[in-house]
Amino acid sequence: MELLSNLGLGLSVALGWQNLIYCFIGCFLGTLVGVLPGIGPVATVAMLLPFTFGLGPTPALIMLAGIYYGAQYGGSTTAILVNIPGESSSVVTTLDGHQMARQGRAGPALGIAAIGSFAAGCIATVVIALFAPPLAELALKFSPAEYFSLMVFGLVAAIVLARGSLIKALAMVCLGLLLGMIGTDVNSGAIRFAFGQPELADGLGFVAIAMAFFGMADVVMNLEQPEQSGVYTSHIGSVLPTLDDLKTSFWSIVRGTALGSILGILPGGGALLASFAAYMFEKKVARHPRRFGEGDIRGVAAPESANNAGAQTSFIPMLTLGIPSNPTMALMIGAMMIQGIAPGPQVMTDRPELFWGLIASMWLGNLMLLVLNLPLVGLWVRLLKVPYRLLFPSIFVFCCIGVYTVDTKIFDVYELAALTAVGYLLIKLDCEPAPLILGFVLGPLMEENLRRAMMIAQGDASVFFSRPISAGFLIAAVILLAAIAAPTLRAKREEVLQE
Amino acid sequence: MRIRSPKDFWSGLVFIAIAVAFMALAARYRLGTAEKMGPGFFPIMIGVVQAGLGAILLGRSFVLDGPPLERMRLPPLAITVVAVVLFGIALSWLGLAAAIAALVIVGAYADRSSRLVESIALAAALIFFSVAMFVWVLGLPLQVWPDWWT
Repeated sequence: MELLSNLGLGLSVALGWQNLIYCFIGCFLGTLVGVLPGIGPVATVAMLLPFTFGLGPTPALIMLAGIYYGAQYGGSTTAILVNIPGESSSVVTTLDGHQMARQGRAGPALGIAAIGSFAAGCIATVVIALFAPPLAELALKFSPAEYFSLMVFGLVAAIVLARGSLIKALAMVCLGLLLGMIGTDVNSGAIRFAFGQPELADGLGFVAIAMAFFGMADVVMNLEQPEQSGVYTSHIGSVLPTLDDLKTSFWSIVRGTALGSILGILPGGGALLASFAAYMFEKKVARHPRRFGEGDIRGVAAPESANNAGAQTSFIPMLTLGIPSNPTMALMIGAMMIQGIAPGPQVMTDRPELFWGLIASMWLGNLMLLVLNLPLVGLWVRLLKVPYRLLFPSIFVFCCIGVYTVDTKIFDVYELAALTAVGYLLIKLDCEPAPLILGFVLGPLMEENLRRAMMIAQGDASVFFSRPISAGFLIAAVILLAAIAAPTLRAKREEVLQE
Repeated sequence: MRIRSPKDFWSGLVFIAIAVAFMALAARYRLGTAEKMGPGFFPIMIGVVQAGLGAILLGRSFVLDGPPLERMRLPPLAITVVAVVLFGIALSWLGLAAAIAALVIVGAYADRSSRLVESIALAAALIFFSVAMFVWVLGLPLQVWPDWWT
């Protein structure tokens, strides 16, 4: 019954007028960036982060969370109506969703996406409430050695998320760790890698890095390519699915939610992985898999439920362990640190109002999103007609003002300009920025735990293998690395042999 | 020896160069021992790993085939970087309004289809919105107009 009293506390926090308003703003903005292709939740969270400093930690996190899961709703609208994924996590929704729209069934497709997302969001909220407390309790017993190994595992697992080369992703993690070391070393007070610049003594701003890599560099990449023009479907009709639609997709929603919830908890998981896996799984278990790709409603219901469930359960490792599983979570951790809260298992016991308030707000947010998405879908569609040449200068403005207001330092603006160029070059070389930002956020924590663990063990590195939990994390990391490396190795070898 | 995967080749070089630069700087900090690590220990440790990964990429680029480098169109990047720098300069001397105007009007040229009249109108709208939102509503410490103006 502790659960109920905890959720009661959470609801009382989330229903406060201030938190309600910020939850709504978050969901609204999330839907907006979800609908608009070319701008994602990571960039939006980074842009809004500086403006949340004046708020308390609870409304700030509630709003930023709303952006992430709200974007999962909005992404499906663009996918179905325009055949362009509004978010990367709604790529698979284009397959069947847009086919449905072309058959004149855009309304039910949008409806089932929203209903599936809502159901998944509600269930995922309960999953968080059930699983987070025991996990946090376990994590409270961790010593620095376990923490270090956990972070190694978390970073390795997060590489699953990166497209492309494993080695490049690992190198990007290292680069993130190195960049994270710029500034004052907490242990010795020495200032590292600052080139005598007093502005660099506090380190590189992670807001600047996130905006440069996920906002500015992304815009530049988009500008190089000719504007994508989709096929607009103007006729939407009733968004209510028929009883038959609901019956067909009921189990798809259940399966999608289950799969999404599990994949969201894993480090490296989240909305993107969940939606792909759910679509594949649905195709496997379906009795008539050939109908997939031709407007099967199950092909919309499953991935849309999964991406929402995954988006929400990916908060579990962030809230209980302080480990980000994807770039958005890395930004949330940054937001907590700026608010003066050390992320980790103690958050739940020290700040129950923050933890349970955030969870309860997710449920309320899902309710708001249902209202925002179903009746207002026509409004969002009109937004899609805003041309990119008006959109991208606005992104520039928000990024620049945002990065400046973090510390009101002009230097940070120049930092943004330089990092934009770096980010662009790295993306051009097929180096995904996601692992870098995770390494950047975890770097200082990792170094501190390594130092502490080694000090306690008196310089004996075997401590990481003699403690069972720590050894378990490291072994899991090695197995994962081998598992990811093996198929690519095999594929590469075949390529070579074919010549 | 022929480079068969240019993207691997160049990214390998970039990773090695950055790792070496960090290690060279870190060598000037106290290394310490495994028990009592100095500020130089962790950077060198990670630097070695990154340089190793870079070397693998470099070596691999001579063995495995990879996609060619995409042609880089420099103007969008260059204009974006210049616009952001102009924003910084204008903000410190002329205030927020001028900074936004510079950023939007210059930055808009990153897209070839932009039109001057349109970007001036957009700049005006964004100045109004930003001042209303960030200065009036959120009360952020931003100077809107230059000193001599007010």
